[in-house]
Amino acid sequence: MSKELIDAVVDMREDDAIKIAEKLLETGAEPLGLLDDCREALGIIGNRFAAGECFVPELILAGEMLRQIGAMVKPRISGSGAAAQKKLGKIVFGTVEGDIHDIAKDIVVFMLDVNGFDVMDLGVDVPVAKFVEAVKSFKPQVVGLSGFLTLAYDPMKNTVQALVDAGLRDSVKVMIGGGQMDDQVAAYAKADAYGKDAMAAVTLSKGWVGAK
Amino acid sequence: MKIIGEKINGTRKRVKQAIEERDAAFIQNLAKEQASAGADWLDANAGTAPQREPEDLIWLVENIQAAVDTPVCLDSANPKALEAAIKAVNKTPMINSISMEPGRLEGVLPIVAANKCPAVALAMDEKGIPKTKDERIDIIGRMLEKTRALGIPDGNLYFDPLAMSIATGTENGLIFFDTIREIRRQFPDVHVTCGLSNISFGMPPVRSFINRVFLAFSMQAGLDCAICDPNNQDIKTTMLAAELLLGNDKHCLKFTRAFRAGVFNK
Repeated sequence: MSKELIDAVVDMREDDAIKIAEKLLETGAEPLGLLDDCREALGIIGNRFAAGECFVPELILAGEMLRQIGAMVKPRISGSGAAAQKKLGKIVFGTVEGDIHDIAKDIVVFMLDVNGFDVMDLGVDVPVAKFVEAVKSFKPQVVGLSGFLTLAYDPMKNTVQALVDAGLRDSVKVMIGGGQMDDQVAAYAKADAYGKDAMAAVTLSKGWVGAK
Repeated sequence: MKIIGEKINGTRKRVKQAIEERDAAFIQNLAKEQASAGADWLDANAGTAPQREPEDLIWLVENIQAAVDTPVCLDSANPKALEAAIKAVNKTPMINSISMEPGRLEGVLPIVAANKCPAVALAMDEKGIPKTKDERIDIIGRMLEKTRALGIPDGNLYFDPLAMSIATGTENGLIFFDTIREIRRQFPDVHVTCGLSNISFGMPPVRSFINRVFLAFSMQAGLDCAICDPNNQDIKTTMLAAELLLGNDKHCLKFTRAFRAGVFNK
């Protein structure tokens, strides 16, 4: 573990973080160790974000640092090494059809990712059929539906119904979240739960996959 | 500078509760305080599920009209709710909003044309909000072809170039100001409006500082209408100072009168 790297990422010193990561790799550090350090750093940043001490532009920068360090590490890890990064579970996530809000959705995907989930992000304005297709091919334990507008109620309901029609509903837990959502909307859409923020999404998902 | 008072919006928790409980006094108070602060229209957004929206929107309109003479701005993408509410208004309402999204073009644009309403027009299409100035100008140009074909005068349209948060792209402020200037240059008769808080989404909880400078810069670029809380002192005072500096306050009278009326008092 490199405290130097973790501190650089947490302190948002992008150039330093990249240089430190390069140096570590040149001097024979375990490539996967760098990813663990990044994960550790992003966990700290995520907690600071939840506490209101760190903000959206910093989450974006942290994601950017992770992407760059990931790209450096990738060619150096073998297939088995990559598989060694054990994940808690798989989640399909997206903003439902007719809604194009992405900021909050990106934050939730980010938090799920740094907390150890393998997240397939379908983006915004995601058609019902695309969710069904993703559940079929990616086989997640959890589906997350995001929506900011009241207009998103029906697309959420339709997405859940489509999973029922495709015979996939029992294979996944469905959570919803976003600006106008609450427990009543979750009941209306026949989702399993409503999460009020990114940490709630993490807690719900961990509960469903049996992780602590 | 025109103001669309934003407070009667059912996506705000307290207003949602007032709509559910039919708390007429609460809505009428919001109408009165915004009208007395100088709002030119009062936005009415029921924010409820599509089946309930028509009756909720009518209820809002009736209560606003019982309290004040200010025209309403019907805020919905639901043609059924708009058609229903338009029968309840006693003055031509503004409609919020049309866009190049197919649903709004087919559903809302004919209502705007038939009732000769002023309308907020969003610079977005089925692909969402474009990143660049040129793509937004392209959408606005295509929308004007549609509105002109229906005989809607350019002066009835209040284009919202749609500000994206500065938190997700540090060029988003410049893109917004450049888009306003380009609208002014190419389509001199249309108005330009926007909300004042999207720009600072995700930033530290001192957002009003960002929002105020955003308002001033936008006005300098050609913004002539804002969707905001007309009772917010930060907004009101910034607007007065910006109007003054842009030469829109003859003999500085609005500013000096506002000073004497205590608008600047903490």
